[in-house]
Order: sequence, then structure tokens, then C-alpha cells
Amino acid sequence: MAALPRRIIKETQRLMQEPVPGISAVPDESNARYFHVIVTGPEDSPFEGGLFKLELFLPEDYPMSAPKVRFITKIYHPNIDRLGRICLDILKDKWSPALQIRTVLLSIQALLSAPNPDDPLANDVAELWKVNEAEAIRNAKEWTQRYAMEDN
Amino acid sequence: MEQFEQLLTCCVCLDRYRNPKLLPCQHSFCMEPCMDGLTDYVRRQVKCPECRAEHRIPYNGVQGFPTNVTLQRFLELHIEITGDLPDPTSGQVMERCNVCSEKSYCNLCMHCEKKICPDCKSAHMDILRREINRINNQIRRGIHRLQDILSVVEKNTLNMQTNSQSVAEEIDEIYRRLTKAVKDRTDYLRTEMDKYVTNEMKNLSTLKDNLELEISNITSNCDLAEKYMNESVEWSDCELMDTKEIFLKTVEFIRNFETENSDYSRRIRFSMVCDLNQLVNNLSAYGDLHFIHPASAAQNNPLLQPSVSGIMRSKSDHRLATQFRQQQEAFNVDDEPLLGGRKFGERPKPSQDKHSDSRYGGYDYNEDQHYDSSSRSSNKNRFRSRFRGHHEDEDENESSKVKNEKEKITNTEDVAKGPLSGIFRILDSPYAMKRIQESDKPREKKDIKPVTPVAPTPQVQVKSTAQPVTTPTRRPQAARQQSEDEIERIKKENKATSSNTTATTESERPSVDRPSILKKTTAASSTEESESPQTRASSTTATATTQNKSPVRSSSESSSAESSSDAGSSGHGSARPVDIPPIRTRTPTATVTTPPTTETEKKPFQSRFLQSQSRTTVTPPKKEETESSSEEESSSEESETEEETKVKPSTTSTTSSTSTPLRSATTAVASPSTRAGILRDSATTENRRSFEESSTPRSRYEPSSYSRAADKENETSRYSARSRATYEPPEESSYSSRFLNKSKTSAIANQPDEQDEDSDSKYGTGRSRYMALKERRNKLARSRSSHNFGNDDDDLDEPVSPTTQSPSAYLASRYGMTSGGSELSRSRSTHALKSRENSPDRGGGPEENKEALSSWARYLKNKYGSRSSTKDSPRDSGYGASSSSTTPSASSYSSASAASSSSPSSATSSASRRLSLGLPLRQANEMHSSDDDSKNLQSSLASPIQQQHQAVDTEDTNTRYCTPRTQYLQKRRQIMQIGGRGSEPSKFTWPRGVCSGPDNIIAVADSSNHRVQVFEANGQFRFEFGTYGNGDGEFDCLAGVAINRIGQFIIADRYNHRIQVFDPSGRFLRQFGSQGASDGKFNYPWGICTDSMGFIYVTDKENHRIQVFQSDGTFVGKFGSCGSGEGQLEHPHYIAVSNTNRVIVSDSNNHRIQIFDVNGKVLSQIGAEGSQEGEFKFPRGVAVDESGYICVADSGNNRIQIFHPDGSFLRAFGSWGSGEGEFKGLEGVAIQSNGNILVCDRENHRVQIF
Repeated sequence: MAALPRRIIKETQRLMQEPVPGISAVPDESNARYFHVIVTGPEDSPFEGGLFKLELFLPEDYPMSAPKVRFITKIYHPNIDRLGRICLDILKDKWSPALQIRTVLLSIQALLSAPNPDDPLANDVAELWKVNEAEAIRNAKEWTQRYAMEDN
Repeated sequence: MEQFEQLLTCCVCLDRYRNPKLLPCQHSFCMEPCMDGLTDYVRRQVKCPECRAEHRIPYNGVQGFPTNVTLQRFLELHIEITGDLPDPTSGQVMERCNVCSEKSYCNLCMHCEKKICPDCKSAHMDILRREINRINNQIRRGIHRLQDILSVVEKNTLNMQTNSQSVAEEIDEIYRRLTKAVKDRTDYLRTEMDKYVTNEMKNLSTLKDNLELEISNITSNCDLAEKYMNESVEWSDCELMDTKEIFLKTVEFIRNFETENSDYSRRIRFSMVCDLNQLVNNLSAYGDLHFIHPASAAQNNPLLQPSVSGIMRSKSDHRLATQFRQQQEAFNVDDEPLLGGRKFGERPKPSQDKHSDSRYGGYDYNEDQHYDSSSRSSNKNRFRSRFRGHHEDEDENESSKVKNEKEKITNTEDVAKGPLSGIFRILDSPYAMKRIQESDKPREKKDIKPVTPVAPTPQVQVKSTAQPVTTPTRRPQAARQQSEDEIERIKKENKATSSNTTATTESERPSVDRPSILKKTTAASSTEESESPQTRASSTTATATTQNKSPVRSSSESSSAESSSDAGSSGHGSARPVDIPPIRTRTPTATVTTPPTTETEKKPFQSRFLQSQSRTTVTPPKKEETESSSEEESSSEESETEEETKVKPSTTSTTSSTSTPLRSATTAVASPSTRAGILRDSATTENRRSFEESSTPRSRYEPSSYSRAADKENETSRYSARSRATYEPPEESSYSSRFLNKSKTSAIANQPDEQDEDSDSKYGTGRSRYMALKERRNKLARSRSSHNFGNDDDDLDEPVSPTTQSPSAYLASRYGMTSGGSELSRSRSTHALKSRENSPDRGGGPEENKEALSSWARYLKNKYGSRSSTKDSPRDSGYGASSSSTTPSASSYSSASAASSSSPSSATSSASRRLSLGLPLRQANEMHSSDDDSKNLQSSLASPIQQQHQAVDTEDTNTRYCTPRTQYLQKRRQIMQIGGRGSEPSKFTWPRGVCSGPDNIIAVADSSNHRVQVFEANGQFRFEFGTYGNGDGEFDCLAGVAINRIGQFIIADRYNHRIQVFDPSGRFLRQFGSQGASDGKFNYPWGICTDSMGFIYVTDKENHRIQVFQSDGTFVGKFGSCGSGEGQLEHPHYIAVSNTNRVIVSDSNNHRIQIFDVNGKVLSQIGAEGSQEGEFKFPRGVAVDESGYICVADSGNNRIQIFHPDGSFLRAFGSWGSGEGEFKGLEGVAIQSNGNILVCDRENHRVQIF
């Protein structure tokens, strides 16, 4: 395997030295391109108080292509499906090399606080979110309680 | 500050900006690698990572964006402030790694000599380290071997010492015994003599007294009788009777007494003579034994040389390493026979005592007396020094040579022979070991090493010249050198042939030249030369003469050291020509003519000279008997006379002079053949022959041959018997081994036994020498014969007339005996090739290119059947005859040609018609001048017009065109197929190119077996060549194969991006081209073909073009470019050139055939994509026959299509499958001269013939 690009090294260093509040990203011991990420649920959101585990992988042509990010912790969110896949434009066509790991994770955190049911990935969730937002938020809180809270 | 720094950071690479480029959106990014990564090459847009604005990329790429100068100034400012470079890689430019193709900061890698990225570089360094480790391991293992060798050498030296010691002791013992015997005998004889003398004296004295008494009595009686026996005195009858009785008794007594007297004298003489003879004989015999030791050592030199050559051939490591040494040694060794011979002649006794002493003694005698006193130790020192630097050697150090011999690791037998210098050897051997080690370590340098020895040799030679014999002996070595570089030899051959041709024309000149040359050389050299002829004569006749001569020579040389050295150098010069024996000696007839050839003349002399030497060593005992001094005188006289005679014959008549070398050659041949016969016989026969030829030499030969030969009868007979037994193997290698064995045995024999063994060994050595000689001669004969080949007609008669009475037998024996015949033929073929190449237009130089012509004629003949012989036919027959005498392979041709010439009228009119048509057809391009009849015009214009003519035209043309046409129309059935998947002979793995050559041989590019296979016309496997690799003669998935008109194979070595040329026997000649797109470079060259002029056409597939080269690889031109327009090509695969110089190219990816003229102008094109008649799918192989019919391998449709010369469709056959007439993936096609179509059926791994 080729040596790690300087950019990844720099990003990793910065992530360790100046971590983003509410986000921790630690590279895997065996693969410097694989990060174990934990994102705290943003305040004033149904996910508040939850610790959401994600995995992040920097592909070979990073930063020219977007990192692959997936929720490991189950989450009730219209833009995140049951497998943890995230529907986020900057992870797809809106990716830019100017973005970094930290910005991606911040975006994800932001996504948690501002779900976008008009561009859904999990259709049932989105449907409920649109039809009965209160019910959906309750579900989300419930899931957060159940999956993202008990130190698991 | 932090913000400032952040402003200087590229948001993509997060490094400080390097060459920041400003996008129209006012955002800046590094030029490399950031901007590159942002580029969308498809849409030629770049998307700003910051604002996602999309910008069109300027025409010249992202570097066309303006550089953000402000930012750069800031960067510089920042550097000034912080004082450090922003980034270790700044200032560097990113490049694509040549290995992994990643953009990176590349550095030159010494391993692959490419600029590569650090990752790949580290990987390469790892590879290097691993390789070093591996090699190191190998060296470790190799060192072990060296040590083994060292131990062996040490053991050998030890053995040698013990051997030498024991031998020396034995010799001492012998000496003691001998002296004792002599002394005893002498004492005994003395006493006997004394006794006898006293007896006799006593008897005689008494006899004398008695006689005196008697005389007085008788006289008184007589007086009394006279005085008183008359009438005056009265005597009684009784008294008278008594008186009468007394007188009668007196008479009787007187008679008796006389007889007694004679008895006495006779007795005395008789006894004396007997004793002396026996004694002398015994002594001489003893002397012989002693001589043998040195003689054997001397012998080994010639022996060693063959062995050395064998070693060289085998190229085993340590042998290679010691090669240098051996050459030296060989030189040194050569000198020895002289020494030995001289010693024996002059100082037999000392030699008996100890070899070393005798040797030095002999030496001293020749050169300076002061050597006598030189002690052994001093000698040692000298030797040692000599060994270190041969240049400084003094002439005397011959003994060192012996040591060198022993040193040779390979020749253990030598150890026994050189007991003298055993100690030295030990000292020297470590040196040898060191050198070997040195040479072994840098194995790559080995090739160079063998060359270096050559330089020192001349010097050594000059030094060693003090002994006359050295120079001739050296020659064998030279010969060996010759074998080392054949190329040079071939070149010289060519020269020689040219010189020969000239020589034959001026037959007069030679005679003059020869003597003049003699004069030109220095006085010393002239003496040397004169000696050599003299020795030649003597050698042929009897050894005694040579023996005599050797002292003379030595004395003369010792008198003037300088002159001798000159002679040596001149001798060396002559040795040079010897290097090329096959060339020059070949032309014994022509030899006398031109100066170079005269040089060659010496060669036979040398060889004889050698022989004589060997004999001289054998003969020494004789000298013991006679006074050496007197002999010297007589011999000197002889030599003088001989010199004169020598010059005479050469000057008087060319035939005589030429005959001499010839004779030597014949004897060389004859001797092996008459192995069973006795040597002396051959010698005498030789003499006789010489008598017949020239009367002048006769006088010289006669006395020497008979008188001397008679003396040596025993020896010679024995000698011959030996030689007979040993001589069987004619090959060099066998010689060498045999010699080795022999010398060994002789050496061993020396140790245990004394007299008998000694004598044996003596002869053994002589024998081996003789064998060496023979070998030499054989070489001569061989080389000469090879010359014959080259010189065809001129020489044809010559070998016959002067040399042997029965030339056929001579030839037969020659070829029967010499196993080197194959070599010969090979060399000949190359030679022929060369000559052909030199003059490509055969019309120009018919004389020189006969060989080429002949093969060409054969080729033509095969194509057109028997023809009514025109001017060519006599030539043909001539070739046939000559070739029959030359190579066995040529015999078939000769017979064929003979048939054609003998029955010229038998050819049918149509056939002859065809031939006459075809011949010009073929030759039209080669010899424009010769043929300009209308038919030629017709045929050369293979065009639709022709076809129209055809209907109206004569029958001949009809047949001409109809024949192929109908033939092709009938094509469907497979005649034969070759192959099947595999890597053994006659099997293929994805065969690609195929072509046909002279004799309708079939050459197939066995692509994935990386070889070319050549088959007979009947499909029988002939040979193959090539292996995988990128060296000379190696292939990597070769594709196209072509055979040019002189039978050379031209191969498109596809993955090596080059063209290779091989001679008709598959030996690599040259290569040209490498990967690239410029002129003369290739990118996957595929198809290849040649035209009648020898130009080579190559389809440069990935460059989508055709390149044309001269036969030597010189770029001539190119045409075609990528595209589908007219004259453009897309992945052209195969190519063919008609005899009307139409270039037919399978434009594969355009699904068409394009036809160009030789200048690349499009003449026409055939076909389009499709499966209909006349349409193609990825056409591959193309071929064109004599009359212009085009055959196309329609790969995608799995069929063969045949077109009229005008491009109209004729027919198609074949379908997908693996049965007969079915194809899977067609590749090359070829049309044989008989109209058979060869098709490479790739996926079926076979060649089908229709």
C-alpha cells in the first residue's frame, strides 16, 4: 500500500490536536484511512444525549472523492437508512476536495439537527416525519434512548 | 499569524501553496497535484472546491490558469519571516512515476533508470538489497568451491613435489646404476684387455724371437744352399734329401706362419669392436629415457592447448578464470621442446642426472656459460618474478614455464612431469588462486579477461625467442585464439577470398613476391623462415635432420640475441595469420600469389616445423653417440643448402611451391585415414611425391629420408604404432582429453619403472606431440577445405592435381575423417551469406556471388521446376560439383542441378515458358537491366489489363494465370497440418506469423513459445531457434516472421519492440529497433516481410504505420497514420509485398486490405466490414503469390479469402471450428512457390496447409 498522502496525515493530526466539540474521530490502528467516529447528538434535537458511532473510510483518491461514512448505531432519521447509510449531498455529488473529515462530520451532526424529509433515504421514516412530525420525533428520541445512550 | 499561515494553505492538499493557480472564481489552488485532481478531463472543466463553480479549462490545460502572484509573494514573505521552507517538497515538480504511474515527487532510480516515486524507489531498493543478498549467498557458495579448488591445487602441488622428488631420486639411482655399470664394464674390459694384451704381447714376443731365429736359420740355410749346394761341394744323396726336406719344411712353415699372424691381428680387433658397440647402445638407450621426462613436459604444451580450447568452450567458471594463465603457460610451454631437444643433443649426461640441471645446462650451452653456475634457488627466484610479471621475463626462464604447466589446475598430470620446480609451484599456486578468486568475484568481467591475456603474449614470445623452436609452437595457441572470435575470422575470410580471386589471376606474381618477402624480413627472421622450410623437409623425411638443425639454430640465435628477438617478433607476426587458418590455408594454390597468402603459406611450414620439433626431442640419443660439434657443422651446411633449394622451388614454379603446402595438408588428411599405416610410410610417400613434382628438392630429400629413416627404424615404427592407436578421434576436444590422459600415463610411467618405462614414456610423449601435430594439420586441412567452398570453381581442380593422385579419396577421407565438417559448413554458410550481403545485386558481381546465386537458383528452380538450361545452367552444374565436394547438405542440390543440366531438353515447353516468364518476374526487381522482354513487362504488370489479355493471349500466359486461379479455386481441402498445442518441437502455442522460404521451408513464429520453428516442405521438423528473453536471439511473443531472398530469418520480436535477423541456420545476426514512436522505433511490431531488394517492411501495429528498412536495419521510410481514411491505418497486422512491389497491408481494425506502392501511396483497397464475400472482420494475415493473387486471413469470419491481383474476389473457404479446414483465430498466411497456402490457425495451435 502506498504511503499515506500528506493531506490525510495532516487532517488526522489536526483532528487529534484540535478535536471538534461533540465529535471524535480516531483512525484505526491497522488502517490509517479508516476512522472510528463518535458523534454526539446535537442539542435541541431528538438525538440529544445520544452517542452515535460511525465509521469513516477515506478512499484511495481522497480528497478528490468523498469519504465513505456510515452510521453504525441505529438511528431514526429520514435521511439515514436502517443500514446506516447517509443521504447527504456533500458525500455524493456535492463533494469538494476542500472539504475535510471534520467538515463532513460536522455536516452529519448538522443533519441530525435538521432532518430533511423531502430528500429521504428511509422512506417510512420520512413519511412519518412529514405526516406526523411529533410522532417521528418521539420515535427518534426513543431510538436514541434505546440504541445510543446506554454506553453500548 | 496562524490565520496568515492558513491563508497560505491550499485547502485541497492542506499544505502551503505550491504554484498557486487562480481560478476565475478567485480561489487559488496548487497547480500540482490539487488542480490536476480537480480536473474533469471529459468535460474539460475544473470545479472549484471552495465554491463549486465550474470553469472551463484553458486550451493548454490547467497551467493556463493565471498564477496567483500575490499569494506567491506572500508565500515568499512567509518564508522570509519564518526562515524555513514551507515544505520539504517545495521546488520540486510532481511527475508521474514511471512504475506505478502515480503522481509524485520522482527521483531517478538507479535500479530501473527511471524517474519513480519514493514508494517504488524504496521497493526497488529492497529488491536490490535482496538481490545483493542472493548474490552474496551465491558467492558464499562459490567461495566454497574456490576453496575446494585451492585444496585441490595444493594437493596437486604436493603430489607434484613428491612425484618430482621420487622421480629425481629414481633418476639419480639410474645414474648411479648406469655409471656403476659402465664403470664395472670398463674396468672389466680394461683388465680383460690388459690380460689379453699381455698374453698377446708375450705370444708375439716369443713369436718374434722365434721368427727371428727362424729367419736367421733360414737365411743361413739359404746362404748355405746358394753357396754350397752346387757341384763344387760333395753332398751325399742322404744329405741332399735331408736338406730338401728341411727347405720344404721351411716353405711350409713360412706359409703356416703367415696364417697365424693374420689370426692374431684379427682376434684383437674383433673383441674390441664388439664391446664398444654394445656399450654405446646401452648408453644411448639410457640417455633416451632421461630425455623423455623433459620431452614429455614439452609435449604437453601442444596437448595443453587443445585442452585449453576445450575448456574455453565449456566455459566453466574457474577454468575461465584460469584461462589467462593457461595461455601464458601455453606460450611458455611451447618453448620447451626446443630446450629439451637441445639439451639432449648437447648434453645428454647432465640431463640424465637431473632434469633441472640438464635443462639449465642445455640452456647454458646455448646462451651463456654463466648459467651453468646458476644455482637452483636463483632459478626459483627468477621464476617467481617471472610469474608475477611476464613482461620482465628473461629468455632463460623456460623452466618456469614448466611450472606454469603444473600450475594448471585442470592438468594434474603435468605435476609429475615438472619435478624440478615443485617448490616454485607452491609459491605460485597461491597467486593463481588469488587471481582466480578475483576473476570469479566479478563474474561479469570474465568475458573481458580472456582478451587481456593476448596482450602479454607477444612480449613473452619475444622473450622466449632465444629458443628458436618457441615461435612455431606458439602458433597453436594463436589458432586457439582464433576460435575465440569467430567474427573476426569470418571477416578475414572474406578478405582472404577476395585476395584469392585476385591471386588466381596473377599467377606469375606470387613467385616473385615470396622471395621478396623473405628478403624484406630481418636477417634473423629470414633465418627463421629458412629454417622452417628446412625443417619441413626434414620432418617429412626423417627426424635426424631436424635434430641436427636444432643445435644450429640455437647456436646462431644465441650468438645474436637481438636478431633472435627480431625473429621471434616476426614469428609472432606470422602467427597472426595462423589465427585464421581456415581462411588462408584454404587456398594452397593461391597462397604463393599475394602477400597475405604467403603468410598463410607459412602455416603449413609451421605445422611441419612442429612435427620436426617433436621428433627432435625424441631423437636426442643419437646425438650422444656422435660428436655434437661435428654434427652441427654438417647440419649447418645442410641447412644452407636446403635454404637455397627451398627458395628455388618457390620461385621457379608456382606449382611446386603451392604443392608443398598442399602436400602437408594431404598428409594431414592421409595420416588419419591411414592411421593403420605407419607414419614413416606416409612420410616417405610424401617424399616420393615431392620427387615427382620437383627435381630440385629431390636431392635434398633423398639422402635425409633414406639414410636417416633407416637409422630410426625401431623408433619410428614404435612411434607410428602408438600414433596409430591413439590417433583415432579426429576432433579437437577428443584430442585434448586424450592428450591429457596420455601425458598423465606417461608421467606416471616415469615414476615407477626405470628403463623400459622411460623409453615408453619417451615415445609416448613423442606420440602425443605427434598427435598434436596431426591435429594441427587436420585443422589445416579443414580450413583449407572450407576455403574450397568459398572459392568454388577456382579451387575445384587444384586440390586434385598437385597433392593427391586420387582426389576423390582425398576429399572423402577428409570429410570422413574430420568431424569438424559441420563447423566448416557452418562457417561456410555464414561466409556465403556475407558475401551475398555485400553485393546484394547479384547481377553485378556474378563471380563473387556464386554461392548466393546457386542457392538462389535452387530456390528458383524449386519454384519453377526444371528449366531449359540457359547461360545459368553451366554455372549451376559448376556449383553442384563444387558444393558436392564441400558440404554434405549441398549434395542434394548438386545432384538436382546436375539433373537439370544433363537433361535440359526434357523440360516441357510450357514449363520452360513459365520459367522464362517467372524468372524475369522474380528478377525484375533485382536486375532491371537483364530482362526486358515483353513477357517480363507483362508479368510485372500484374493488373486487370493483364487478365483481359489473358483471354486473348497465348496459351502460355493462360496457363500462367489459369494455373494459380484454378488451383486456388480448388482450394478447400487441407493437404497437411503441423502442430498441436505444446512446447516441444512441431508443437505450437499460439503461432502467429508464418512464411515460406527457399526449398519451400516453412518458418512459423511460435509466439508464446518464444521461438521460431522451421519445417521442411513436407512438414518435417528441421530446427528451431530462440527462447524467451530480451537478449540477442531471444524473443518475447514474436509475431511476424519473414525469410528474405538469401534465406535469413527476419523476426518481429513483438514485445521487445524490435526486429531480429538470423542467418539461415538460425544464428543471431543482428537486431534493430526499440520501443517508441519515432523513426526506426516500434510499438508492438507485428507483421513483417521483405521484398526482392531485401527491404524489410514492418507493420508497426500500435503506431498504426508501416516502416521500411534496409536489410541491415537502416531506416528507409514509413507511411500510414492512425485513422480510417485512405492511406491511414488502424492496428495494421500483417503485410506482404508482391513481386511487383505492391505492399499489401491488413488494416485490421478498419476491416480492409490496403495496397500501397513502395513509397506509401495508396494504390487500392479491398473490402469493408462484413461477412459477405470480399468483406472482412479484422483481417489478419495477408500473402501474395508470384502472379499477384492475394490471400487474406479473414480472422473474424474464420475463413481464407483469395482475391485476384486486381482485388476482385476469387473465392473463400473455411469456417469456425477445429476440424480440417476450420479455423479458430487466424493469424499469418503464406503462399509457397508451389501454390500451397500456409495458414496459422492460432487457437488451434497449428499450421494448416491447403
